[in-house]
Amino acid sequence: MQYRQVQTIDGKGALRGIAVDSRGQLYAAGDSEIKLFDAAGRLKQRWPTSRPALAVAVARDGAVYAGEMGQIEIFDGAGKLLRTWRDETLLGRVTAIGFSKDSVLAGDAADRAIRRFDGSGEFLNNIGKDNPVNGLLIPNGVVDFAVARNGAIYAANPGKHRVEWYTPGGELLGHIGRFDGIDPAGFTGCCNPTNVAVRDGIYTTEKAGPRVKAYDFSGNLLAVIATHPFNPNCKNMSIAVDSHNRVYVVDTEKLAIFVFEPVTTV
Amino acid sequence: MSQDLTRRTVLAVLAGGAVFLVKKANGQIVWQVNAARCINSRLGEVGVEACNLCTTECVVALSAVRAVNEYSKCGRCNICPAYFNITSAVNELGQPSEKLCPRDAIARKPIGKVDPEDPANNFYEYIIDEEKCDGCGKCVMKCKEPLGLGSITLRVRYDKCVNCNRCSISRACPQNALVQLPVGQAS
Repeated sequence: MQYRQVQTIDGKGALRGIAVDSRGQLYAAGDSEIKLFDAAGRLKQRWPTSRPALAVAVARDGAVYAGEMGQIEIFDGAGKLLRTWRDETLLGRVTAIGFSKDSVLAGDAADRAIRRFDGSGEFLNNIGKDNPVNGLLIPNGVVDFAVARNGAIYAANPGKHRVEWYTPGGELLGHIGRFDGIDPAGFTGCCNPTNVAVRDGIYTTEKAGPRVKAYDFSGNLLAVIATHPFNPNCKNMSIAVDSHNRVYVVDTEKLAIFVFEPVTTV
Repeated sequence: MSQDLTRRTVLAVLAGGAVFLVKKANGQIVWQVNAARCINSRLGEVGVEACNLCTTECVVALSAVRAVNEYSKCGRCNICPAYFNITSAVNELGQPSEKLCPRDAIARKPIGKVDPEDPANNFYEYIIDEEKCDGCGKCVMKCKEPLGLGSITLRVRYDKCVNCNRCSISRACPQNALVQLPVGQAS
């Protein structure tokens, strides 16, 4: 399978996390704001967050969740603040947010774990913490995960060169990935992949050098989506996939989002 | 008036120089590697070969410059690009089969609660043997961001340095990374 770059979106500032909603709108967290781009990549709206925004996710009801240091801010689709969940311990540094059935998941990089909350913000359980190293191995300082349609939580575990998947209750179900500095099917460097997305497959980004790949759920490499045009100093490149399997990837140095789509052969 | 000012300026410069020489003679001025200038540790320099002028130019045998790992910054990774040659073939343990350091000056040991079944499930400490290290900078280049965390840098070891008036490494360094600092400002 091959991909081609079809779009470059000016990120209008720092880009820590991105998300795509069901209408193809793109949300970006960075600096102390959330930016909303329409499907054509035009900046439609931006609104401030009370602390630097590190992650963003859109719930089924259209609410926009912003991950920050010590808190999650919840906005309506127009950027009006609805609620703030504040917990300096459980939400130390929220670098990813997702939804699994009725629960809200937050990646807490400060404690190297994924926190699961109910819809009202009550803590339920940790994910990825019950192991000998007491959490995900993230020398890069970011917990990133994505939720599959079946509710499984796919987490990047870069120090192990794996993507692991868990039940919402925190049980480890399996993993793909291995270290390899030569074979592109493996993950290279000290700690890759740093970021992950899930739709019809598993999508990953790596740092040093920047690389975007797609795997099937058995861990077979489907495609090296791109190694260019990223700045070689990029790291923690947030990734999202829309309903048309277009892949959105952040360049943290060029402050841009590159969009790739599968090339269909006739 | 302007002559007086010029005289005062000259006297001030001479006095400053005298103070500098006295401090240097007393060992209060030392040479140091500025990590933000050194091409091996400077951020943004990727895809270039490590510079080994600290090894080849120092008048001290084996060089007075050594690699130092600052543990508080180290990721304690299973696959450390400063320890392993990460582009070598993968062995049966799932690790690179070759080490990076040409003098085998870095030791690796698991720390904390050790999982013997899965090497990826452990933290590792990387200890640099300064008696073997010659400051070639290869590990420094591989440790810096974005590949690593930048915990390894080159430092002048003052017990080895003979504190030349004009450090021969500083003369050769195209980055002017060797600088003189008062002891109190040196790391």
